[in-house]
Amino acid sequence: MPKAQHTIEKHHASERSTLQMLRYLRLYRYFLEQQFKIAVEYRSNFIIGAVGALFVNGASLLTLGVVMGQIPSLNGWTLEEVLLIYGLVLLSRSLSQMFTENLWQVGGYVQEGSFDRFLVRPINPLFQLLAERLDSAGVGNFVIGLVLVLSAGRALDIFSPFNVVYLTAAVLSGGTIFFALNLITSASAFWIIDSTAVSAAVFENFRFAHYPLSIYPRAINWMLTWVIPYGFASYYPASFLLGRDIGPMAWLSPLVAGVLVVLGYRLWGVGLRRYAGTG
Amino acid sequence: MTSIVRPAMGRRLARRAGAYAALAAMVPKTLFVYNWSVWAQLIQNVVSLVVYVYFWRAVYAGTPTIAGIDLQTTLTYILMARIFRPLANIDLIFEFGWRLRDGGFAMLLVRPVDLQLGYYVQGLANLGVALVRQLPVVLLATLVFGLRWPSDPLVWAVFILSALLGRSLFFCVDWILGTLTFYTTETWGLRELFQGLTNFLTGGLVPLDLMPGWLRLMALATPFAQAVYVPVALLSGLAPLADAPRLLVGQLLWLLGLAGVSRLFFGRAIRHVTVQGG
Repeated sequence: MPKAQHTIEKHHASERSTLQMLRYLRLYRYFLEQQFKIAVEYRSNFIIGAVGALFVNGASLLTLGVVMGQIPSLNGWTLEEVLLIYGLVLLSRSLSQMFTENLWQVGGYVQEGSFDRFLVRPINPLFQLLAERLDSAGVGNFVIGLVLVLSAGRALDIFSPFNVVYLTAAVLSGGTIFFALNLITSASAFWIIDSTAVSAAVFENFRFAHYPLSIYPRAINWMLTWVIPYGFASYYPASFLLGRDIGPMAWLSPLVAGVLVVLGYRLWGVGLRRYAGTG
Repeated sequence: MTSIVRPAMGRRLARRAGAYAALAAMVPKTLFVYNWSVWAQLIQNVVSLVVYVYFWRAVYAGTPTIAGIDLQTTLTYILMARIFRPLANIDLIFEFGWRLRDGGFAMLLVRPVDLQLGYYVQGLANLGVALVRQLPVVLLATLVFGLRWPSDPLVWAVFILSALLGRSLFFCVDWILGTLTFYTTETWGLRELFQGLTNFLTGGLVPLDLMPGWLRLMALATPFAQAVYVPVALLSGLAPLADAPRLLVGQLLWLLGLAGVSRLFFGRAIRHVTVQGG
């Protein structure tokens, strides 16, 4: 009898969490609709934002093309191979930029006391914060990243069915790493109020991941693997896809992403309970 | 007669100058207000500097020279270009956009000082502040990456003159870009867009000498190259001192042309302004 009871409770619990998930999906669609309305209303802003991303990356890519047109390889990597790395980091970053860019505002919200509004509604505060913004530059970066990966990948002939699955998993993991690091650093706002400098100090290191990590000294390599692991968003998956032997590093991206996101969400929870408001 | 007029004129002039000095003096006060954007900018500059140094070292790993330029010269140029990047700071897109939104523009227009001259003086003070803030980058470049600074005072004199001309003419570019917000009311994307153009065309990412001929010519035909590439090329020795007179005259011509165009532009664009919330 107690066993049966237990099974029924478990059944109810899973039903509840399914309902909960459906509710959040419905809510997310609603939030997206609002974002879409904003994008349509301020159409030129949205387009300029997306095109702006194109120009900023265009400058770096043009530089890369110009320089690499004059040398045989960059530390043993051809232009296409470097472009694959660049494209992967751009794709990963764009995912977190599109859907989780509002984390950058946490410091500001806490500082001016407006964070409280996320706490008075019956929705998960983090969900609400993230759903409130769809970043147009993220859309631009996504398109550029996709074009880069597709064209470099085609030139390098890496698109086997298995590799496509691997690539998708790598990009999702990379996006999660970007999101998780930002979540961890943004949660610091609950202790130090203005977290943006902390977030920037960690985030900006993604620039290292635009190029093969092998061009940097050991310490920087180590940092981008084990401390601020953006290497798992670009260099390691690209190395694997290009048949370079990197051992178990080829398979660690999802694990690193998972650990970081759990850590980030825990820290966020601790901070949230600690938060007392400043306004 | 003249003795009566002169002191009066002198007083008026002094009062004028005093007003602009007061505008400029407001700026250094912001030096000590380290808000997040300043930290973020500094961190970005430091990381970018490190990335570029190792990128260029890897580039030169297999070849002693590219387009006749060796690693040392390229690195010296790139490090200096990173340090003097604020010469091409785009300030006015955000400034105008913000003033438009909060209604402050109306107040600025009725002030008894020339709006553009006021902003120019403030821009110079801003540049000073931005350069002081680059100090950590200077230390990193000098102490860690062994950047060697020129010892010839003449080189420095030419550089300072060229940097001033560069900043002045870029201010006019910045002014024209700023007035675009009167039409778009959008700021962030607009700034990103021009930041990309500026990064590349000022020669901030790659010395123009390493670009293919057509691209170099194209970049040199824009005012962007005049703002950072020219002064930094002179300071780093990429451009010989003998070229200085020609380069300086070129900058001066750009400045005169752009100053005229920017005033015309503003006169046109201001009719489009809808001050919000004012």
